[in-house]
Amino acid sequence: MNVVFAVKQYVSKMIEDSGPGMKVLLMDKETTGIVSMVYTQSEILQKEVYLFERIDSQNREIMKHLKAICFLRPTKENVDYLIQELRRPKYSIYFIYFSNVISKSDVKSLAEADEQEVVAEEFYGDYIAVNPHLFSLNILGCCQGRNWDPAQLSRTTQGLTALLLSLKKCPMIRYQLSSEAAKRLAECVKQVITKEYELFEFRRTEVPPLLLILDRCDDAITPLLNQWTYQAMVHELLGINNNRIDLSRVPGISKDLREVVLSAENDEFYANNMYLNFAEIGSNIKNLMEDFQKKKPKEQQKLESIADMKAFVENYPQFKKMSGTVSKHVTVVGELSRLVSERNLLEVSEVEQELACQNDHSSALQNVKRLLQNPKVTEFDAARLVMLYALHYERHSSNSLPGLMMDLRNKGVSEKYRKLVSAVVEYGGKRVRGSDLFSPKDAVAITKQFLKGLKGVENVYTQHQPFLHETLDHLIKGKLKENVYPYLGPSTLRDRPQDIIVFIIGGATYEEALTVYNLNRTTPGVRIVLGGTTVHNTKSFLEEVLASGLHSRSRESSQVPSRSASRR
Amino acid sequence: MASLDDPGEVREGFLCPLCLKNLQSFYQLQSHYEEEHSGEDRDVKGQIKSLVQKAKKAKNRLLKREDDRAESGTQGYESFSYGGVDPYMWEPQELGAVRSHLSDFKKHRAARIDHYVVEVNKLIIRLEKLTAFDRTNTESAKIRAIEKSVVPWVNDQDVPFCPDCGNKFSIRNRRHHCRLCGSIMCKKCMELISLPFANKLTSASKDSLSTHTSPSQSPNSVHGSRRGSISSVSSVSSVLDEKDDDRIRCCTHCKDTLLKREQQIDEKEHTPDIVKLYEKLRLCMEKVDQKAPEYIRMAASLNAGETTYSLEHASDLRVEVQKVYELIDALSKKILTLGLNQDPPPHPNTLRLQRMIRYSATLFVQEKLLGLMSLPTREQFEELKKKRKQEMERKRILERQVVLESQQRFEERRSDLASRAANGEVVSLRGGPAPLRKAEGWLPLSGSPGQSEDSDPLLQQIHNITSFIRQAKAAGRTDEVRTLQENLRQLQDEYDQQQTEKAIELSRRQAEEEDLQREQLQRLCEREWEREREQFRAASLHTRTRSLDFREIRPFQLEPGREPRTHLAYALDLGFSSVQSSAAAEPPAPSSALEPARVWSGPPALGQEFFPQSMISQQNELASLNPFYEEDPSSPTAGGTTSPPAAEHSFGPSVSILKEYNPFEEEEEEAVAGNPFTNPDSPAPNPFDEEDEHPHQRPSSPPVPGNPFEEATCTNPFEMDSDSGPEGEEPIEEELLLQQIDNIKAYIFDAKQCGRLDEVEVLTENLRELKRTLAKQKRGTD
Repeated sequence: MNVVFAVKQYVSKMIEDSGPGMKVLLMDKETTGIVSMVYTQSEILQKEVYLFERIDSQNREIMKHLKAICFLRPTKENVDYLIQELRRPKYSIYFIYFSNVISKSDVKSLAEADEQEVVAEEFYGDYIAVNPHLFSLNILGCCQGRNWDPAQLSRTTQGLTALLLSLKKCPMIRYQLSSEAAKRLAECVKQVITKEYELFEFRRTEVPPLLLILDRCDDAITPLLNQWTYQAMVHELLGINNNRIDLSRVPGISKDLREVVLSAENDEFYANNMYLNFAEIGSNIKNLMEDFQKKKPKEQQKLESIADMKAFVENYPQFKKMSGTVSKHVTVVGELSRLVSERNLLEVSEVEQELACQNDHSSALQNVKRLLQNPKVTEFDAARLVMLYALHYERHSSNSLPGLMMDLRNKGVSEKYRKLVSAVVEYGGKRVRGSDLFSPKDAVAITKQFLKGLKGVENVYTQHQPFLHETLDHLIKGKLKENVYPYLGPSTLRDRPQDIIVFIIGGATYEEALTVYNLNRTTPGVRIVLGGTTVHNTKSFLEEVLASGLHSRSRESSQVPSRSASRR
Repeated sequence: MASLDDPGEVREGFLCPLCLKNLQSFYQLQSHYEEEHSGEDRDVKGQIKSLVQKAKKAKNRLLKREDDRAESGTQGYESFSYGGVDPYMWEPQELGAVRSHLSDFKKHRAARIDHYVVEVNKLIIRLEKLTAFDRTNTESAKIRAIEKSVVPWVNDQDVPFCPDCGNKFSIRNRRHHCRLCGSIMCKKCMELISLPFANKLTSASKDSLSTHTSPSQSPNSVHGSRRGSISSVSSVSSVLDEKDDDRIRCCTHCKDTLLKREQQIDEKEHTPDIVKLYEKLRLCMEKVDQKAPEYIRMAASLNAGETTYSLEHASDLRVEVQKVYELIDALSKKILTLGLNQDPPPHPNTLRLQRMIRYSATLFVQEKLLGLMSLPTREQFEELKKKRKQEMERKRILERQVVLESQQRFEERRSDLASRAANGEVVSLRGGPAPLRKAEGWLPLSGSPGQSEDSDPLLQQIHNITSFIRQAKAAGRTDEVRTLQENLRQLQDEYDQQQTEKAIELSRRQAEEEDLQREQLQRLCEREWEREREQFRAASLHTRTRSLDFREIRPFQLEPGREPRTHLAYALDLGFSSVQSSAAAEPPAPSSALEPARVWSGPPALGQEFFPQSMISQQNELASLNPFYEEDPSSPTAGGTTSPPAAEHSFGPSVSILKEYNPFEEEEEEAVAGNPFTNPDSPAPNPFDEEDEHPHQRPSSPPVPGNPFEEATCTNPFEMDSDSGPEGEEPIEEELLLQQIDNIKAYIFDAKQCGRLDEVEVLTENLRELKRTLAKQKRGTD
């Protein structure tokens, strides 16, 4: 169930199968991302892969002394490129691996172009493995209105089925009834499983695995919140793209730190700290620095005796690795804390959490109003506060959204953001939600919340629990309601599920990844993998909302953005 | 003996706190501890428990530290230790689903490839026929006839237009026939095959490569030889003259096929420089992968002061490995600069490839070379060797000490028991033989080393292998030496293990016997008690005076205990003189029960000699015991609490318990065939005497590094009787403490060497704490 490991195994197998000798890895745009998430350059160099080429790059030289390993998605363009390549081979021998099911006709046309006796196989690494329990397809804007963009639907289906194949799971499927898109996807996945039934013949487990398909619409709150755990925070404030972080906008950044890679696979500090909160990171960074400093003087001061030098040389690889780690994390954390104070994020986050978790309308309104007056609060943060208010108190009797919108306008927030407020409400408002985000229904939850209120909260910045937590909790306990999350097909699961794959149409978040991580750690015997069409931060989520074209409040005219809504 | 008196001595390594076995790592120590000692610390329980736990805790702490250290080096899944069910911790998973299209591929391309191969072969066979005769010296008509015989020419009338360019054939635009397939084309579309090219294709040999001239159109005639250029010039003239007898006309299609074929031949035969260099580089890397672990093994062993490998050999190997590294460096540099100053600079991708190879070679060297630890210098090595030797010696001594100590305890208890039993029943034995013969009892032991040397097959084997190694080294067969050394090490390990197992076995048996004895003792005591009560009623005054008597006797009582000990020391010295002999002195394990029995009962008369000796102690105690019994109403209860099994099991009279011992004794007696002692005169006391043989022979040097004489003073047999349980435990606890201290000292040493200062601090703190505990305890026992 470890998705990173699954992809890594595929890549290792490819490389091993090609035998010794210099190798070139031929990929397309997407598979480049897939491979780069699980393998570092130095790691793959050790396996004699020295060159990485894009199949569509024209400027490739004939190098007959290289073996080519092609890892490609089975798209029409790729097959065409490959046919050309095979007709005029540039490398001595080709090993072709497709990341998904390829059609018979494509195989035929490839074979007809082949004079090299190539090896062709399907390896189902057709998704981006972010964490061991988190995968993404890097699709932004998967829906048009409430329905799938057909191209993205097929890509998502491919990604999901590839995931199932790489983990060797043939699951039962449940989906969120309130979402049409979820149902469509469930049906498509089922269709593929039926069609490729021989591929999905795995050893039966006692309890069949479960695929739960959800829609982002059900919880639009989570992606709107500021985050305080390392991975989520970096993504929220700086943006993580295939493990890479762009730091070029950081003032006074040194050249080699313009783009850094944060990968738990080879960065121990990151692996150990990605789920810790900002305060803890701070102290850990301090320790890291101290460690570093403790080692550093050895080189600069105490290099008098030969023994010292020897010791230094013997420590050198670790030292070098460590120095890289230190400067990287110091830069990242430094930038985070700069942004936090510059944007007054602590205060903003506190109000966000209040909006998300508590039901005190008047105090919430007051706080939002107060922050809107604060010049330090950026228009982005101001807009998201209003969005959160709008989502929570959408139907509140004394809803004063128009007043807040006025405040936004007075603050000088651009129209783009003001329009987004209504778009977000349209995207994830009460009307589309299948379940209630804010007021718990069952008695247990009510008491829980009541007790929570009595005790006070430990950390005001991390009160919020994603809705996913409740859903999964119910699912694990076998209490998830079938009228809200029905099974696809007649058979239902009698036992509590053990292997769970959750997929969120419209994108998951790192906060949800953390939730799943914690659930994995605290519930023995249960393994959960989370996936989404992408992994969102607030910015990308707003883009997603924008892309779905839900500008108007009316469902019928959702394809045609109307300006009237934004004027409210 | 002197070394034993020094409890503060530092011992290093991972020593098991119970059996003092030196284990190589924390893990081994822990697993050893769990395997060997989990069940057998019955006699060490009680108050000791807390200390063991403390020690364990410390160990765990250290263990965790080592884990961290070990993991910081490796990357990937192992380095994640959050605890709980982390996604990284999910059980290993197999490779995901895979589907191969190879069979489909083969099916689809088979026909095409077959067709291609047939086509090529056909052309080449024809070409061979066309070039088989001397073209230049044959008449053109004849040539034409031969050419026509190879392939039927297409009829001129059938082809009015050139099939390739579509021009109409006329008198000016004449028809030409392809000599390979017989088809017709115009002059413009005609291709020519030079003879060398044809030759190359037909022979497909390397020789033709140098003389080969590809026709002017050939795209890949990069390196045309001089002769080639001349012939191409002549070809131009010949075309002009239309005298192309040394060429073969053919169509574009045939030519293409042939060119492709040529390319294939070229690729097969030509390996670019980079490939040659790269192959060398990989070879070197493989060599390093082979040699480096071997060297690291050697260096680690040498740095530990072991003598399994020779220093010279190791340094040779080091030099060798370093040379390979230099070679790798040089080769990768060469690859990096390959073709850099060529006129058309190489393609950027080629340069990238070269850079990458160089980079990965650098990474390789960095990672591996810096992992090579340095060797000790000759002097250092000598020092290390000495240190190690001392350490081993010390370890051996300590190991033996433990055995001896437990034996001593065993003996003491035995003799107490015996005396008690005797006191109760065999009063007649009081007037036993004189103490003079005591010394004679030790003779067989001093003689035993020789015997044991022959009798222990393991030791013999070790001896043999050592000599083999010497021979092999002389013969210079290094690989053999290595396997032999491996072998030797295994044997030594095996031997060590055997020794410790024996020791463990012994102590366990002793514990069992002690239990039984205690039961017995209690029974006796009870009986005595009853009898005493009668006496007590009769003469209570008398008792008191007697008890005073006892105290006077005490110093005297110590005497005999001391004397055998010095003898033992002598015996031990003998034992220490050679490694082999020491083995025999140690191991009275049941598994090898026969052997020790034989050794100890050596001369047939021996049993008798022992007999008196045991009597002495009995005698001594008998004198003291009387008061004890009178005074001892409390002792049965004490016995009852310390040995609950005795209280629980309702054994019959003491005689029945004695009978339980009989099988064991009989075994021994059988082993000692012809021992006159097998016919004891009185059944009840005799078993005791037989058993007493053991204690007296594997005597009684005190427990562990502590001062034996201190121990002796507190192991007053009398006290032992009254509360044998706790009394036996006390010294062990102290011993444990000392060991723990030693261990921690070793850790500190290790940590200091590795420069982990924070750890050193924690450890020193730990050490201080332990020392305090020890001091407290000493005060308590003193």
